[in-house]
Amino acid sequence: MTTSPLVEPFPETGIQPFTKEPIRYVGEDGLPVQNLPAAYTPERLRELHAVMLRAREFDRKLITLLRQGRTTFYAQSSGMEATQVGLAHSIRPGHDWVWPYYRDHTLALALGVPMFELISQVLGSNSDPSRGRQMPHHFAARKQHFVSISSSIANQVPPATGTAMAQKYLGTDEITVCTFGDGATSEGDWHAGMNMAGAMAAPCLFVCENNQWAISTNLSGQTASENIHIKAKAYGMPGFYVDGNDIVAVMEVGRTAAEWVRAGNGPALVECLTYRVGSHSNADADAEKHYRTREEVQEWLGRDPVVRVEKLLEHLGHPIESEERANMISAVHREVDEQVIRAEATGQPDWRIMFEDVYADLPAHLREEAAMLRAEQEGERK
Amino acid sequence: MTATQESQDVTAASGEPRTINLITAVTEALHEEMERDSRVVLFGQDVGARGGVFMATAGLQASFGKQRVFDTPLSEAAIVGAAVGMAVRGLRPVAEIQFADYMGPGFDQIISQAAKMRYRSGGQYTAPLVIRTPSGGGVKGGHHHSQSPESYYTHTPGLKVVMPSTPYDAKGLLKAAIRGEDPVIFFEPKRLYRASKGEVPGHDYTVKIGEAAIRREGTDLSLIGYGGVMPDLERAADALEAEGVSVEVIDLRSLVPWDKALVVDSVQKTGRAVLVSEAPRISNFMGEVAYSIQEAAFDSLLAPVGQVAGFDIPYPYVQDKIYLPGPNRITAACVQALNY
Ligand SMILES: Cc1ncc(C[n+]2csc(CCOP(=O)(O)OP(=O)(O)O)c2C)c(N)n1
Repeated sequence: MTTSPLVEPFPETGIQPFTKEPIRYVGEDGLPVQNLPAAYTPERLRELHAVMLRAREFDRKLITLLRQGRTTFYAQSSGMEATQVGLAHSIRPGHDWVWPYYRDHTLALALGVPMFELISQVLGSNSDPSRGRQMPHHFAARKQHFVSISSSIANQVPPATGTAMAQKYLGTDEITVCTFGDGATSEGDWHAGMNMAGAMAAPCLFVCENNQWAISTNLSGQTASENIHIKAKAYGMPGFYVDGNDIVAVMEVGRTAAEWVRAGNGPALVECLTYRVGSHSNADADAEKHYRTREEVQEWLGRDPVVRVEKLLEHLGHPIESEERANMISAVHREVDEQVIRAEATGQPDWRIMFEDVYADLPAHLREEAAMLRAEQEGERK
Repeated sequence: MTATQESQDVTAASGEPRTINLITAVTEALHEEMERDSRVVLFGQDVGARGGVFMATAGLQASFGKQRVFDTPLSEAAIVGAAVGMAVRGLRPVAEIQFADYMGPGFDQIISQAAKMRYRSGGQYTAPLVIRTPSGGGVKGGHHHSQSPESYYTHTPGLKVVMPSTPYDAKGLLKAAIRGEDPVIFFEPKRLYRASKGEVPGHDYTVKIGEAAIRREGTDLSLIGYGGVMPDLERAADALEAEGVSVEVIDLRSLVPWDKALVVDSVQKTGRAVLVSEAPRISNFMGEVAYSIQEAAFDSLLAPVGQVAGFDIPYPYVQDKIYLPGPNRITAACVQALNY
């Protein structure tokens, strides 16, 4: 290494760590602020737009499900599509490993986790691969190496480091990707995991989806640090600052950072500056009014990542016509409806499986407790 | 607190039974399992060149290299969390926490990640790991080197909780823990590391997690304990037998799962039970044992179930020895049950 990764631009892409301002390729008006790499053809941008729009409408439909009382919890990621869809392109699904956090269903969709599985999990139906064990929105998808989500904030950071350490030990060319919100960076686990990854040169890509609010605490209430990515310096890894609403920027920076990690240089941190436009979750839909101003939300609505790609396509002379857009939306709504019906038709997991998967084998005390419940359940049925 | 730094004889098992101490049994188990399975990796604070404060891992880095035996940053959350992530990716991590008293910073990783991985993913992911840690008092360690926190972990489904008291069990249970498919919290009673000596076979063996051992058979009273208190149970039983009382001594060996059937059978035979542990009394795991006895063997009971536990105070430094439930307190509880 002739250049220091902690200060100088990365040779292949010219992308610089530790910038003052978020790295950006496309401005809010949809006009490129620097040359777009050749890969971003109108066809490619249309594909990316479709994935983002699908995620947006998935969110919208699931909020409807919630209002209908067909599920109990949902944490939307509307506004964060460019961050999650962009990030997905740094990950080889089923090859690299992902320790995600609870707001990552758009990432899951982009990695190819079937919508049916996600909906099954949200509904806790019999078709849920996690067998109805977790509250809605806490997915796990083995095929895509999308590891199970715990609700404890930042709890996934040390294990992600461990998975990366295992990859290094096994000599694979896999990397681990670990995501979290801005609030998570205040937890001890975050620092412990970041520090260990640095010390162990673990191939782990850390991604902060900085949507600027941890429920009612904003970034300046969360930390006196001017931003998140500069903390990477303390752990001996490059930190990148990127406009999380610019999918081109997220893809380019994400790829640069992932390649750096993949090349065996150790971990890296990417901070995507974005915004969640909806409430934190349905549990505090109103609370939001108490901490965010209408102006702030309006301002960020103006930076909508989905709209930004539409403006860019228009600028490139390949606009998405309004009818085409409407058709795309209704197709997603139909898809969600179909998957909901399909998932609901599988019924609810049987109470008998409650005692399974606690241990590899059923110990005597769980056999006893299961027998007790069986007697109770069957007695009630008589 | 001082750690003895004798060199360890880590020859792998070959033929003849040998008499070794408990810490050597731990070292041998680790050595043999690492030899058997390249997925086994071992790490923690000072476990590498130094071999751990008690020397349980002495010589292992020399034998297996820094890839497989290594020192980590000083962070229990990172150590336990990394073990979870490694296990998920297919390794068999054995993490050492320097003292059970320092599991606190790793607590959430243990209960939220390790314990729940299999259940919450519907079996898609598992976390077969072992966390080894010296626990218990009697070594003048003050309250940060003497505590017995096992009950916290017995309260979390998904974890197996083990505490051996003999070299035979330490070696066999640790091997079973490493080969098993579940996360295991493996408490090593530090005051028995060198005090407990016994025979181990010269061949490979495991001890099944979840089975208690009857240390001596008797008909008048069941004296039940685990870990560091076991030698005191034996002493109390000797004293009582000198008075003509026939005592059955049971070593639980593992707390989750625990051998309810063996305990209940014993109490049905003897009619009396005294439960001994050194952890503070409130919410002590032995409360669960007592409850199970009254539930399953109430008609056999000739006296209330007796309990000898630690006091509900932080572990004291100067009064180290009198804090522990020694043979006198144990004998007194037995006499009370016998005279009821
Ligand atoms: C250890 C822990 N403490 C508190 C909570 C409750 N909680 C759930 S989400 C959240 C805010 C997290 O914010 P951030 O990490 O920024 O992610 P975001 O939800 O904004 O995407 C809090 C406090 C929790 N889940 N875990």
